[in-house]
Parts: sequence; C-alpha cells; structure tokens
Amino acid sequence: MQRFGAFVTRFEETMIALLLAGMTLVTFSQVIARYVFNTGWTAALELTTLMFAWMILFGMSYGIKIGAHLGVDAFIKLFPERTYRLFTLAAALICFFYAIILFSADWLQAFLGSEVNARGGALVYVQKMQIIGIGLEELRLPEWAVHVFGFESEEIPRWIAYLILPLGLLLFAFRCLQAAWQIFTGQRNAIISGHEAEELVAENEGVLKDKETA
Amino acid sequence: MDAVYLFALVLGLLLIGVPISVSLGLSSILFIIFFSGDSMTSIALKLFEATEHYTLLAIPFFILSSSFMSTGGVARRIIRFAIATVGQFRGGLAMAGVFACMLFAALSGSSPATVVAIGTIVIAGMRQVGYSKDFAAGVICNAGTLGILIPPSIVMVVYAAATDVSVGRMFLAGVLPGLIAGLMLMIGIYIAARWQNLPAQEWKGFGELRDAFLDAGWGLFLIVIILGGIYGGIFTPTEAAAVAAVYAFLIAIFIYRDMGPLKEVPWRLDGEGFGAAVLRNAGAILVKSGPSLVHQDTQKVMVDSAKTTIMLMFIIANALLFAHVLTTERIPQAITDWMLGAGFNWWTFLLAVNILLLLGGQFMEPSGLLLIVAPVVFPIAVELGVDPIHLGIIMVVNMEIGMITPPIGLNLFVTAGITGMSLVRVVKAAAPWVVILMAFLILVTYVPWISTSLPTALMGPEVVVR
Repeated sequence: MQRFGAFVTRFEETMIALLLAGMTLVTFSQVIARYVFNTGWTAALELTTLMFAWMILFGMSYGIKIGAHLGVDAFIKLFPERTYRLFTLAAALICFFYAIILFSADWLQAFLGSEVNARGGALVYVQKMQIIGIGLEELRLPEWAVHVFGFESEEIPRWIAYLILPLGLLLFAFRCLQAAWQIFTGQRNAIISGHEAEELVAENEGVLKDKETA
Repeated sequence: MDAVYLFALVLGLLLIGVPISVSLGLSSILFIIFFSGDSMTSIALKLFEATEHYTLLAIPFFILSSSFMSTGGVARRIIRFAIATVGQFRGGLAMAGVFACMLFAALSGSSPATVVAIGTIVIAGMRQVGYSKDFAAGVICNAGTLGILIPPSIVMVVYAAATDVSVGRMFLAGVLPGLIAGLMLMIGIYIAARWQNLPAQEWKGFGELRDAFLDAGWGLFLIVIILGGIYGGIFTPTEAAAVAAVYAFLIAIFIYRDMGPLKEVPWRLDGEGFGAAVLRNAGAILVKSGPSLVHQDTQKVMVDSAKTTIMLMFIIANALLFAHVLTTERIPQAITDWMLGAGFNWWTFLLAVNILLLLGGQFMEPSGLLLIVAPVVFPIAVELGVDPIHLGIIMVVNMEIGMITPPIGLNLFVTAGITGMSLVRVVKAAAPWVVILMAFLILVTYVPWISTSLPTALMGPEVVVR
C-alpha cells in the first residue's frame, strides 16, 4: 500500500513536471523557429494552452493532497484544538462541495427545487461535446497516429481535450474527502498552507540562528 | 445590495480556513445559483479558459526561470558584485545587501525567495563585521520586497491580464520606482550607519569590481534578454519568459554548475592548459546535455515550479470567476457611481485604494487580491483620470508593504524562519524600514511621473480607452 502511494505521488509529480517542460519547450522552439528558420507551427499556442490547462486541472488535486493551497489560518489558530479541528474538517468538506457542484450541479437542483437555477456542469459539457463531435481548432493528430490507431480523421475531438475538466474536479473532490477523513482520524492537521513560503522556510529553518541568543 | 452577501461569504470562508481559491470560487458559484442563474456549464468552463489568457501564460515560465536562478551560486555572485560596488561606504555591507536584493529581484520576481537567497548569506556576513542581528534582519526583510516591484514581476503580469494594459509597459514602469525605493533604503542605512557608527568594507579596487561583474554577468544578462527582448520587439512577454526559463536552465547547469550533473566540475583544473580546458568542457557539456534534462536537481526544480504555478493559477482562475460575477452584477459601476457621487477626487480616491489594499493584503495572496480589486477600482481610476500604469504601480507597492506588516506578512515569516528570531522581534526590527517604504508609497502615489515617465519615453504615450 505504501509503495502504491509512493508510485502515485511519483506519477503526479512526473505528470505536472512533464507538462511544464512541454509548455516551455514548445514556446521556446517557436521563438527559435521564427527567428532562425523563419517558420512556425500554427497549432503551437493551442497545444501550449492545453498543456497549461491539463497541468493546473490535474495538479489542483495534488495541491490538496500535499496541502499546498494557500489560505488564512491566523483566525482558526486562535481557537482551542478541538474547535480548530472542527473548522479544518468543515473547510475540507466545503472544498469537496465546491468540486462536486462544478462537476455537475444537477443534484443540487433536485435538492433546492425549481426556485433556483443550478443546472449543468463540467460533465454535461463533455457529454455534449461528445455528441456534437467537433474537433479542436488548430491541433491535429500526426498522420502516422491516424493510421496506427485507426482514427476516422486527423481532428482531435474537443471532448477528449476537455476531459481533464470533469476528471480533475473528481480527483479534487476525492482528495478533499480523503483529507477530511485524515483530519477526522487525526492523521492530518490542516488542508491549507498558511503562507506560500512554508516549504522554503522549512528547508532553511534557523540557518542563521545564534547559538547564544536563541 | 446582493453584493454584500458575496463579499461576506468570501470573508467568512477565508476565515474558517478554506483555501483562498475555493473561497472565491464557491462564493461565486453560490451567488450565481441563488441570484443570477447562469448555467454551471459555462462557469466550469471558466476554470479551463483561465489558461487561454495569453498574458497569464507568462507566469509558469517566469516561475521556472526564477527557480533555476534561485540556487545559492547566483545569489553568492550577485552579493560579491554588490559588495564590490557599494561596500566601501559607511554601512556598506547593509547597502550591498539592498543592492543585491534589487539585482536578485530582477532575476527572480519572488520576494520570499529573495529574502532566503540573499538573506542567508548577507545576514551572516553582517553579523560577523559587527552589525546587530536586528539591523541586518530588518534591512533584508524590507529590501526583499523589491522582488515584486522590479521587473520581471508576476504580480505585474497578473495586473496586466486583469486590466488589459501592456505587460511591457508595466515592467518598464517598475524600473524607476524600484531604483528609487532601493536608493531610499540605502540613504536610510547611510544615516543610521553614521549615527550608530557602523563599519565600512575595504575598497578592493576596480579589478575586483570588473571580475565580480563578469562573474555575475551571466545571470544578470537574463534581465537584458527579458527587457531587451520585449522592448526590442523581438518577442512577446510570454515568449520572453519562455526564453528566460531555458536560458536560466543553461546558466544554472552548464555555466555556474551549482546543480545538475556538472556540479563541482571546475572550468579549469590546476595546471591545465587553455586548449585542453576548452576541449574537456566542450566534451563534458556535450556528454551531459542529455542527463542534465533528467537529473534529480532539474526534476526538483521542475516539480517545485509546477507546484507553485498550479497553486497560483488555481487562485487566479477562481479570482477571474469572481471578477466575472462582479462585472455581470455591475458592481464596479455601482461603486464608481457611489464614489463619484460622494465627491471623491483622484487624490482621495488613491488614498482610499491604498487603505483598501493595505487592509486586504493582510488576508489575501497578492495576485488574488489584485484580480479582485483591479476590476473594481480600474473603471473609477479611468473616470478620475488616473493613469492605469500608475495605478498598477501603486497596487504593487501596496502588496510590497503588505508583506512586511503584521499580522500576515510573508517576508516577516520568512525572516523569522531563517534567523530563528521571534515574529515580534522581526516586526520591531523591520519597523524603521517599513516607515521608509511607507514614505515611498506616498511618493509613488502622488507623483505619477515616477511610474509613467519611462514607459512613455520608450513606448510613446499611452492610449486610455474609457
């Protein structure tokens, strides 16, 4: 189980790092192509943007897992341990709620009745796109891939490119539930990070600390 | 006033410890469900579309280049150059610390990273020659905030994206204020040094100055690439950032060799001839070019940068959602009408903006705060004849001050962390220098020329669309 956990972490980190590297290289090579070879690839921007979106939407659940999302913990830290824990638990469940509404709000509609309008969501969009079947604007599959995998055309279906939206939200919801459970059982203290440099400080904790006046 | 619910909801969620991103996003979603009834499909899509903002695409690349540049070696070289330049004055080491922070800010764009990289070396050095720890920590803690004012700066990219001003103009506008802020801190140090009789460093001559400059030059050339590239019309800010990221990678791995497979491999061995050294290095670089891409140091920088980008962009995406709700509810217009009706002029309006940002900066991450405040105050500013670039610089300086004022000041935490001092002691140590930055804020707020002169001179007068 532990080895599986390490594998998942490794997979998540490799994915986001590769997407970032991919974005950088595509954009950089476009500059070189334009100035050195006086050419360019029209789909470069679309590809970069897609990788950017995939990185963020895939990585946001990883952010919950490692507790990297920024928040304000100054207020809840004023309370005694038990109340603090309760607030943290509530925060984790609120995050779950957020992702689930965006994934699909139809259940909320059933719950709230017809006075309010809560319909649709990420899932509905992808389903619609799958039915309509339009492709991306610029980006095309390379010819060999069409032959090898037997696609109908070189067009990349839009629903596949946008698949990460519902998928990322589901992962996000899952990680929030997991965090809530960990907080409930006392394995975890917080869902947020109090400030963005927490890790940086931890790495350099007290490097300049005096021996005599500590 | 439905908008009151919206703001109350955000604040409530923030206080009970919900992440900033989700607080903004969920408040917007609930507001839409209960008050406007937009389809959730289009709202979910907004998360995806945040990445289609061409300007924002520069952010991951700037983060990446700054991560490669944040290795200890670059900071050490910059500090050597700074000491060779201003060290000989009274209080010279402290001034060199400020100067080093300014130079490092031009490479990194992150304030906490600046404090850690420069602070760990300079504070220790200052202690050795007889500065008090409080003096040293206070100076670096403040000078570190210049990171977001001196270009390239992520906060400026975010402002440009939120208000559709040009990133290039914003970067240029930050140059002069950055220099002035640094100079004001140095003058303050000089006066304090005279008064407290602090030591000066020995002048090591122009030879050392030249050598130190050449050594630091590889890193500092990054500024030339970014600014020169943008103003020379060679590339867009986004492309400049991607080029900078690749350049920073090459410098860190192959030139400075503080990380990666060539770490500790010297350029010239003892007694090695020039030709032999050239051949050996060329061979080493060729052989290690592949492994350098997958080396664990490179991987760590990539993963760290990706994490930072995701965290920041997730806030930005949700803040854009929030800003979208504000605009569809015509809240900026309502506030504009109210403010104009209440008789605000540009003078009192800017004062109000300053107070709002100083308060808001206590709770929010700078980019998120900017994305919320900018759409609200921007139309008012245009109406009152305030230059958008000038407004942007005021906002950035406010964010800076927010980092060094309690209760939630990022640089205070970082300084307390690395020095092992208590937070209260850091706050006290930083206080005299915060006063200087406050004076600087007033100067920048009421003298628009400081911000607008350079962009106007180099890029022509600006066209403001009302």
